Amino acid sequence: MTTLAKKKLVSSALLLFPLLLAAHGVSSGDQEILNNGGLLSYIYVGAKHMVTGYDHLLFLAGVIFYLQDFKDIVRFITVFTIGHSITLIGATYLGIQANEHLIDAVIALSVLYKGFENLGGFEKYLKNKSPNLLLMVFIFGLIHGFGLSTRLQSFEVGTSQFLSKIISFNVGVELGQILALIPIVFIITKWKSKKSYGAFYKAANFYLVIAGIGLFIYQIYGYFYGH
Amino acid sequence: MKKLFFALIAFVLFTSHVMYLKLDTYFLEPDTSATINLFNGTFDKSENVIDRDRMLDASLVGNGNRIEVDGSQWSEKDSVTLLNFQTGEAGTWVAGVSTASRSIEMDAIAFNTYLEHEGILDMLDWRRKNDKLEDAAVEKYSKHVKTIFQVGDKRTNDWQTTLGYPIEFIPLDNPYDLNTGDSLRVKLLLNGQPLANQLVYANFKAPDEGHSHGDEQDSATEHGHSHEGADTETVHEHTDNGEDSPTADHSHDSIDEDGHSHDEETEHGHSHEEKNNQTAEHSHDKESEHGHSLDAKTEPEHRHADESEQSHSHQVAAEPEHTHDTTDAEEPHQHTSGQQLRTDTNGIVTAKLTADGIWYLQTIHLVNTEEEGFTHESNWTTLTFEVTHGHGADTHTHTDEEEEGIPSYVYWIGSLLLVGILFFWFNRKN
Repeated sequence: MTTLAKKKLVSSALLLFPLLLAAHGVSSGDQEILNNGGLLSYIYVGAKHMVTGYDHLLFLAGVIFYLQDFKDIVRFITVFTIGHSITLIGATYLGIQANEHLIDAVIALSVLYKGFENLGGFEKYLKNKSPNLLLMVFIFGLIHGFGLSTRLQSFEVGTSQFLSKIISFNVGVELGQILALIPIVFIITKWKSKKSYGAFYKAANFYLVIAGIGLFIYQIYGYFYGH
Repeated sequence: MKKLFFALIAFVLFTSHVMYLKLDTYFLEPDTSATINLFNGTFDKSENVIDRDRMLDASLVGNGNRIEVDGSQWSEKDSVTLLNFQTGEAGTWVAGVSTASRSIEMDAIAFNTYLEHEGILDMLDWRRKNDKLEDAAVEKYSKHVKTIFQVGDKRTNDWQTTLGYPIEFIPLDNPYDLNTGDSLRVKLLLNGQPLANQLVYANFKAPDEGHSHGDEQDSATEHGHSHEGADTETVHEHTDNGEDSPTADHSHDSIDEDGHSHDEETEHGHSHEEKNNQTAEHSHDKESEHGHSLDAKTEPEHRHADESEQSHSHQVAAEPEHTHDTTDAEEPHQHTSGQQLRTDTNGIVTAKLTADGIWYLQTIHLVNTEEEGFTHESNWTTLTFEVTHGHGADTHTHTDEEEEGIPSYVYWIGSLLLVGILFFWFNRKN
């Protein structure tokens, strides 16, 4: 099979999967914004990346599904934020990078993991209790932060105000996260009181599993055949 | 021994800055804001910004119109001069910058080293044959650079525009009609006339995940890779003959009639370290500290790290447009790697586009001159463009909205559909 045929096949397959497009490429438009907009532009691009980088949001949606009350949501989101801030700031500052496809593939697995856990996969299929969620959210937070750092490092950032730019990008990520979480939390909490919530819960988490697998395949394919 | 020592120092120090026009991507969307980076240094790292009053011409050409760049469109970031503009209508666009001449005075060793390092081999050869290797030089030089980029899908004929610079590359084919593996014919004009028998270097910078067509690759251009860190950029270049580029560079923008000026944005500090542990370092970190005289004829003194008395003069008097620190000094620095070509009797060279990436052609035409106050005159030119392997421009725009040509809203709709189907299925099951 030719490379082109393979790409067509994968592209067609992706259409059947939800949200498989890890739209994380460096945008020349974003680079323009960063070139001309000062620190505020880093906040904007960080927020934009979080809102459009749906693998992060899918994972968070999965976490929220699992939680019972608002206090829990704040606790888990805080842990996730601490986790991704550590690696986003640390790795960018130190110039540590990973292959973007590989790191995004691991992030895809975190989406798969959350859907699988929410559906009771550990108990049902592995006959095990699922690992401590708070710890897992922190670990996955570190991984997501590393992915965000890799993205930030793909931009031409320059050397002046370097740390301020990283922190601004991180602030943007947090703002984007809050913006995106508001409707997610709203929908999930409102739906909880409905009779159809059980079906919605299953549908959404099956979707997370499928999306996680699809994203993973997509990134691995990108790693081997991308350019 | 002393001669060798100075030759080694000169080898490290006398590397001038080549000028390039660079874009992050050479495939742009119509009517969007974009930036062209004017590099002065190496292709990988700009060492200093270019003052606007030094530019004799800055033009954009698209759809048959030549637009003079307004001074307000320029800005600076770190050591890069940025040209911000709106792309306008779809077409193959050209941008060009031509700078005023300046001069530099060098002793014989420095001049010979510079000729060798910059690949001006014909002049070096002439000096050898005519027993002129001991002659110092006062060189008058100017730089004239062009880039060709594609806006949208529509190809227009602007790529063949002659900007009328003293020296200029004119492609004979539209680079954006070509793909990796093809050859590009380029005519070199000097004062509007074809320049025959001139050495031209063609090289490329591969994209992060690009690939080259190994079996077609010119041996001299293989093995280029870069690692871009967040803070510093380290570039490794390897040539087949195993030569590593010098470890540091130095530019001499010299005898400006207005003397030696410094603006606040230009720091002066550089150090040079040689591989063989001979350290030749001179520093003038801040304006107040460095030893350059404002007088065009005076000799700046450089203090060496080892505090020995070895000072050297290169009678520079224009703004020192470079910033070197120890990090810079460790970076390999190569001006003339890649394919070494020579124009034919019609001034034409053919570059094999062996790999995806941003390609650059460069040449320095340097001749003896009878002009009063100078011994040599040189005109420098570069041409940049991007080469892909034929997936079309839309695969290289790197937008967030699409990849492989499928817009993200298709995936959003697909996702909602899938969740909806799953929901109804589970709901019905319940």
